[in-house]
Amino acid sequence: MGIRFREVSYHYPQNHLQFHQAIEKISFQVSAKGEFIALVGHTGSGKSTLAQHMNALIFPTEGSVEIFGHSVTRKRNRKIRYNDLRKHVGLVFQFPEYQLFEETVEKDIIFGPLNYKVPLDEAKTIALKTLAQVGLDESYLNRNPFNLSGGEKKRVSIAGILALDPDILVLDEPTSGLDPEGKRVLMDLFQSIQFETDKTIVIITHDMDLVYQYTSRVLVMNQGKLVFDGTPEKLFRTAPLTEYQLSMPETIKVLQAINERLGLSIDIYQKTAEAAIQAIKEAVRQ
Amino acid sequence: MKNIVIGQYVPGDGFLYRLDPRTKLIAVIILMVAVFLLETIIELVVAFGLVILLLIAGKISIVRVAKGLKPLFVLLLFTFFFQILFNKEGTLLVEEILSLNPANLGLGLLLTVLWRLLARFGKFKTILLFLWIAGIYCLLRYVAIAPQWTTFSLQIHEKGIEMSVFVVIRLLIIISLSTIMTLTTKPTDLTQGLEKLMRPLKVIGIKSDDFALIISISLRYIPTILDEANKIMAAQASRGADFSEGGLKEKIKQVISLLVPMFIIAFKRSEELADAMESRNFVPGKKRTRIHELSFGWKDAVTSVVILLCLAASITLKVIG
Repeated sequence: MGIRFREVSYHYPQNHLQFHQAIEKISFQVSAKGEFIALVGHTGSGKSTLAQHMNALIFPTEGSVEIFGHSVTRKRNRKIRYNDLRKHVGLVFQFPEYQLFEETVEKDIIFGPLNYKVPLDEAKTIALKTLAQVGLDESYLNRNPFNLSGGEKKRVSIAGILALDPDILVLDEPTSGLDPEGKRVLMDLFQSIQFETDKTIVIITHDMDLVYQYTSRVLVMNQGKLVFDGTPEKLFRTAPLTEYQLSMPETIKVLQAINERLGLSIDIYQKTAEAAIQAIKEAVRQ
Repeated sequence: MKNIVIGQYVPGDGFLYRLDPRTKLIAVIILMVAVFLLETIIELVVAFGLVILLLIAGKISIVRVAKGLKPLFVLLLFTFFFQILFNKEGTLLVEEILSLNPANLGLGLLLTVLWRLLARFGKFKTILLFLWIAGIYCLLRYVAIAPQWTTFSLQIHEKGIEMSVFVVIRLLIIISLSTIMTLTTKPTDLTQGLEKLMRPLKVIGIKSDDFALIISISLRYIPTILDEANKIMAAQASRGADFSEGGLKEKIKQVISLLVPMFIIAFKRSEELADAMESRNFVPGKKRTRIHELSFGWKDAVTSVVILLCLAASITLKVIG
């Protein structure tokens, strides 16, 4: 089970309105349990296109995507209920504005479950539960989603997808537009959701610090091709980052600079700022 | 929804491209009037020939114009049959007695079901449609078993055929003319031309520059809004609201889930645009200069003379005939 990409290529139609990178012959697998995956790459490398394949929002031009046992190919298959596939794989878009439309937060969250014929009272229980999962209390239930702050809107939109209880949760740049503290809070939230429910979480991000600190696996896209699939350790220690148009996490960069300037030999591969500070303190003590 | 091309402008270098948009706008209007003044089929065929000559001279591919006519094909077909069937002037050419009875009604329904089933495979749809029409006709004509419910006669008159050809050619000419204009003129040039032409209307309180600004902003934002709509639909599909699945009641809810975010995003965008324009010192109603000023050259003068000759010719024909 899970998602399996087999030689997937996708080309946008010629007169397509927006700029998007096509993807070329991509093969990998995402299991349905317990993975925390980062999908990274330069702007326009095809990350979002890839993510939209994960819940059959777009169909591959070539190859096939197997989503929980159903093979999605170029042609729409009448036997597959694509809506049901999307219950397994929840995709949260970058801007909550694209998703929120009801007049209360509660109504908005139960929109998804109701689409899947969940009874109303059950859906309301789910709404309360998912709202707690994203770290908002029940006072938010009756508020208007359009009067919330950016971060809160984001949480409500994530709750709207979590309410479907997907096995795999895909988030398109969930941390963009947030301050560093907000980013960390949100990432902690994903980590705790993953810890509690054992769902697989895939996040698209540009923030290498978050990738290094939180995730267990990294997929790197570059110009429409999947160029790296492995642990963040391996990525930052051995992979040719400049070739992938990526940068090092800030902590590593800072420690590297300190080592060079002062001729020290601190272990630069520290995941968090706190660990880095600790390492510097120890070096100073010596 | 992904393949909509806004405006039909296709870059090229024929002489039509180098004309002032004002000339083209006025020329199209005058030529339309001239076409409406024509009264016989022969005159119309000559006019149609002139339009094709214009296409060749302007280096515009006829295929492209034909493609522009495609959406109006149904309208043309409808006018054609309407004229043939309901115009009862002139000598009677064909008369057929059609009847409606239980037998052919049943067979007709069966044929319709068969047609819909075959159409599902998605191939030869047009051919199937024509086969269905022909089949229904044959049933009505030849299956005349009692008890008859009602009979009616299908009559085709001489004048009907004449008028149907006449009207279709006239429509073809008019649509081709306007297609030529939109193919060879950028939407921005067109609005600028409109603005200049409508300037005299200032006397009666219509501000042509505001009007032109509204048009150009709308044109500019259609692709953006469409793009946005696609994203919203994808986001709602992720919540189980796929627009191609589900019944009518679900569809209504889905449309609401699309419209609300679209309006909110559109309002937000318009506010941002207004701020951006104001921060670049845009003051409504104040005179602005243009990067590309329109210029009325000798080509435009020649074209105007030719167009006026066309109008004069058709007025003469009207008076003589």
